[in-house]
Amino acid sequence: MSTFRFFILALALGVLSAATLAQTPPASPPGQTLHAAPSGATGDNLLNGGSAAWVQIPAKRISLNRTPPLFDTDEPAAPEISTADVRIARTTGKLVVQLAWRDVTQDTATLPQVPNTPPETRFRKVQTDADDRFFDAAAVMFPAKSGPDAMAPSLQMGDAEHPVEIYYWNAARGPMLMEAQGRGTTRRTGQTFPAAAAYQNGQWTVTFELPELSAGTPMAFAVWNGSQKDRDGRKYFSVWQVLE
Amino acid sequence: MSKHQYAMVMDLNKCLGCQTCTIACKKLWTDRDGTGYMYWNNVETRPGLGYPRQWDRIGGGWKNGMLQPGPLPTMEDYGYPWEYNYEQRLYEGSRKPVMPSPAPTSGVNWDEDVGSMNGDENYYFYLPRICNHCTYPACLEACPRKAIYKREEDGIVVIDQDRCQGYRYCIKACPYKKIYFNEVTGKSEKCIFCYPRLEKGMVNACAAQCPGRLRFVGLLDDPESPVHKLVLKYRIALPLFPEKGTQPNVFYVPPFNPPKRENYGKSILEDPRLPLDYLIYLFGPNVKDVIVRLEAELSRAQNGGRSELLQLLIGRDAQTRYHVRPQLVQIQG
Repeated sequence: MSTFRFFILALALGVLSAATLAQTPPASPPGQTLHAAPSGATGDNLLNGGSAAWVQIPAKRISLNRTPPLFDTDEPAAPEISTADVRIARTTGKLVVQLAWRDVTQDTATLPQVPNTPPETRFRKVQTDADDRFFDAAAVMFPAKSGPDAMAPSLQMGDAEHPVEIYYWNAARGPMLMEAQGRGTTRRTGQTFPAAAAYQNGQWTVTFELPELSAGTPMAFAVWNGSQKDRDGRKYFSVWQVLE
Repeated sequence: MSKHQYAMVMDLNKCLGCQTCTIACKKLWTDRDGTGYMYWNNVETRPGLGYPRQWDRIGGGWKNGMLQPGPLPTMEDYGYPWEYNYEQRLYEGSRKPVMPSPAPTSGVNWDEDVGSMNGDENYYFYLPRICNHCTYPACLEACPRKAIYKREEDGIVVIDQDRCQGYRYCIKACPYKKIYFNEVTGKSEKCIFCYPRLEKGMVNACAAQCPGRLRFVGLLDDPESPVHKLVLKYRIALPLFPEKGTQPNVFYVPPFNPPKRENYGKSILEDPRLPLDYLIYLFGPNVKDVIVRLEAELSRAQNGGRSELLQLLIGRDAQTRYHVRPQLVQIQG
């Protein structure tokens, strides 16, 4: 097959698969609201991304923006990921959020596992495999305090009066619960939460189990692309969406 | 600005490249999970690739008040840490010689003693390196987490391991590439100038173990300290790559070899064994003045005079070389 014909075929396939993806989620109302659909499924069932339970849950396509470069000397990163699909299921005492986005590179690794014995008693120590790789990641952020005052924290991780909770998942290090009180204050709480992730056909599907959140709670989403050396504020982010 | 500043001077004329400092540091600080490839103290052959490879040519530091971050070195640039299959040889009956694994392809001081050519003569010298605990640390500025801080009491630059998230902007910004990422902990690490030792009145491990006695330690602002005398009084010690703008607090007495030929009564500037251009590349244009000053001291001593500077550089005992003042730098109250 000539290169040109191959190119046309690849292009056609690309358009077709993009169209398929676009058609998959039943459209939810436009605007910056997120519909949480009640689900009879348990949290455990919903964490399994392939669960039939999710078929009933409508998806909302949200726009993702790219943060500006941190340093003037940084090359601006190409906006490779422009949207993500969010599905939210409300089940007993929990809110289960599924975030799906297209990412042509799966940036993950199995990190070296440290045995549960003191290093000095071991014949060999665990070594660093690589020092220059970054991993795909995603996060859901919402205000730590509920009530009308919690409606509009700063999108840059809240502030001292409006702390935020961040449910963060990393393709290599897994889920971690973080909290922040403004830009640069994000810290790991040391706690974790139930999460599940799958990468298939150029798409990440990550499911977060959140505590129950009341209608009117703002939520924001972020996606990091490891192949673009994303970490920290170098990422894709959504504006606040309001949970219905 | 810190109240005091610990500093180190290394006399490159006395370095024998034995790596005792490297091992002293490694056994004390980087013998942990994830730190195999790290050498907070390393000794590299100059001219040469350096560790990590080409660190001096990949950016970092300041220019017109702006950070100049460069690319992250790769593990190949540092050298993968290799292990020897002692278990197989000693316990499992293998009769083959002990072999390293993975097969080494690069490493710290990989090009040991290769050097370069000056005309038809080979030349090289050793450059021991630690974190420079800069007055204007580029790493500190680059960290969006504010995990890096310069201790107010003694100017030592450290990374708060609780705040660090392993983003590695500091590594990109450091012009000396003296911060290392530990993928096992997910955090970055660096030389801490042995502050726990200094706080107990003991000198840095790399200095204490140095058989060449080439390291001098003290407070730069203490007129009695050897580093104050070498850097500010006699002005014969220079920082590495001063044009990077970070104001290092580790200084070097440049290698001061006799002229190549007919050296009696001749300046090394007339017929240098080490090309002056290379010394200027490393230490800036002031290196020429330093050589002139050192030659004058040497000449005075050779003519029967007394040189306090040369006596200091010989550094016969620890009291001469080190002036650790924990009582001066401790945080009051």
